[in-house]
Amino acid sequence: MPGTASWGARSRENLTAYTFLAPFLIIFGVFLAYPVFYSLYIALHQVPADSFDIFGGLQFVGLANFRELFTDQKFWWSVLMTLYYAALIIPSGIAVSLTLALLLNNRLKGVTVYRSAFFMPYVLDMLVVGIVWTLIYSPHVGILVRIFESVGITAFTERGFLGISGTAMPSVVLANVLKGAGFGMILYLSAIQNIDASLYEAAEIDGASGWERFRSITLPLVKPITFFMVIIGTISALNAFAEVYAMTSGGPNVDVGGKALGATWVTGYYVFDAFYNQFRLGYAAAMSYVLLALTLIVSVVNRRFLSPEY
Amino acid sequence: MEPRAAARIRRTLLYVGLTAAAIVVLFPFFWMVVTAFKQPGQAFSPEIFPSSPTLQNFRRVLTDYGFARYFVNSVIVATTAALFATLFASLAGYVFAKKRFTGRDKLFALLLASLMIPGMMYVVPQFAIINRLGWMNTYQAMIVPHLANVFGLFLMRQYMMTIPSELLEAAKIDGAGEWQVFRTIMVPLSVPIIATLFLLTFQFHWNNFLWQLIVTNLERLYTVPVGLAMFKSAHEELYTLKMAGSCISVLPIALIFFFAQRYFIEGMTMGALKG
Repeated sequence: MPGTASWGARSRENLTAYTFLAPFLIIFGVFLAYPVFYSLYIALHQVPADSFDIFGGLQFVGLANFRELFTDQKFWWSVLMTLYYAALIIPSGIAVSLTLALLLNNRLKGVTVYRSAFFMPYVLDMLVVGIVWTLIYSPHVGILVRIFESVGITAFTERGFLGISGTAMPSVVLANVLKGAGFGMILYLSAIQNIDASLYEAAEIDGASGWERFRSITLPLVKPITFFMVIIGTISALNAFAEVYAMTSGGPNVDVGGKALGATWVTGYYVFDAFYNQFRLGYAAAMSYVLLALTLIVSVVNRRFLSPEY
Repeated sequence: MEPRAAARIRRTLLYVGLTAAAIVVLFPFFWMVVTAFKQPGQAFSPEIFPSSPTLQNFRRVLTDYGFARYFVNSVIVATTAALFATLFASLAGYVFAKKRFTGRDKLFALLLASLMIPGMMYVVPQFAIINRLGWMNTYQAMIVPHLANVFGLFLMRQYMMTIPSELLEAAKIDGAGEWQVFRTIMVPLSVPIIATLFLLTFQFHWNNFLWQLIVTNLERLYTVPVGLAMFKSAHEELYTLKMAGSCISVLPIALIFFFAQRYFIEGMTMGALKG
């Protein structure tokens, strides 16, 4: 009864609560809350060209980093590539997850073994998965190129799937979809198993075919999961890094209006490149702020237009 | 007779579908293992099973290329981090589940809102903070920044809310202090979720490649994924060794998953299904 509790009991309860919370809140404050603001400070500065002392040497440059960002063709291209990544991974992720869930939604012996097999890649490291796919996608000698050759398709032989600008992004996305599908699969499976069986029975009596039952019962009733999949697909596009690092380093180059731009040059990778390879902390911080703004816009739009409870 | 035959055909088709899907999903890992056992120089031989399998690749990456050391580093980082992240999340989860205190709901909303911030956002400022603390090339740099696990806190709170408060009150009437209540009642009753969170945070830190890459540039501090990335850029052509390194990198998590998959699957999907 907080209303009737004495002031002393109340403050003792507060003291206990915050003592238990202290370790968590201190780490949260220093490493998760403060950085959001500190990042803005860094974004308004730059590391002088000749300095390795990034703290004493930070130079105030006002909005210069943001101004540069808005005229940086490489940055806008990266936003475009991020959207392209999202446009590929969202529908394919949903399709693969839902297909696996429908396959598993049957009373069969050994079905849990399949469930584990589909889920396992989700817990493994994206970097390793990317490295292995690089081997599979290799030109000339890679296993996938050889499989295509065996049916007479040699278009990929010379440069491999990651070396051709048209196939690089879909190949990166495919590796990620197959790795992550187990997660969506579990979500869809539990949603499907929550659907009242009598709905299907009634539809069957009315003469609805399998496809009609799927379209008019299953699909609408798993919509909350689909909504969630759109959100995590968007977030994974905005955060895409390890897969690009492992497989393509942002390449291969495509010619866009006379400028060479990377076919898998997503914003997450550009942030890393600006920070780690060029050591432009201020510029990378400014870019990550735009990334945050995009994330917020996307989540507002999702809530507004795609939310299951509109 | 007719419907039974139809059922059998349907069942067979389902098994074919499931098996085909499993082959596609697991093929990269199969190919990784097979290649790791091939003779050097035979990395691209198309044979499904190597004709003269060898352990030489594993031996060489572990000894000549320092993966034994990287492995120990990964174990140290992931274990320590998982222990503390789980402890902090349990303490905080208990308070959010069972205590009424000033600012509770606002604080909880703030913590949950932080989950929306893209991870890339943190790379630059966290790196700068680590530098300012003088923590570059230390274990604590790899561990400490990720010890406040908001998702873990959420899991803990959800679970601990289901433990009846009467148990806690009874213990208090018997004279138990706050810490004692937590340790002798909450912890034993929360073992499944504590185990789950330990495994999930262990997995997170084992795979926390980008951050570990950023805060270390001394070879003796490399974790397995960082060592693998460095090996990849230095020896692009040593494919069989690269695959052996990859095997070593995923083996612990694959093994843990094999024995404790229920915890993984439930823990990872719980947030999504309840939220």
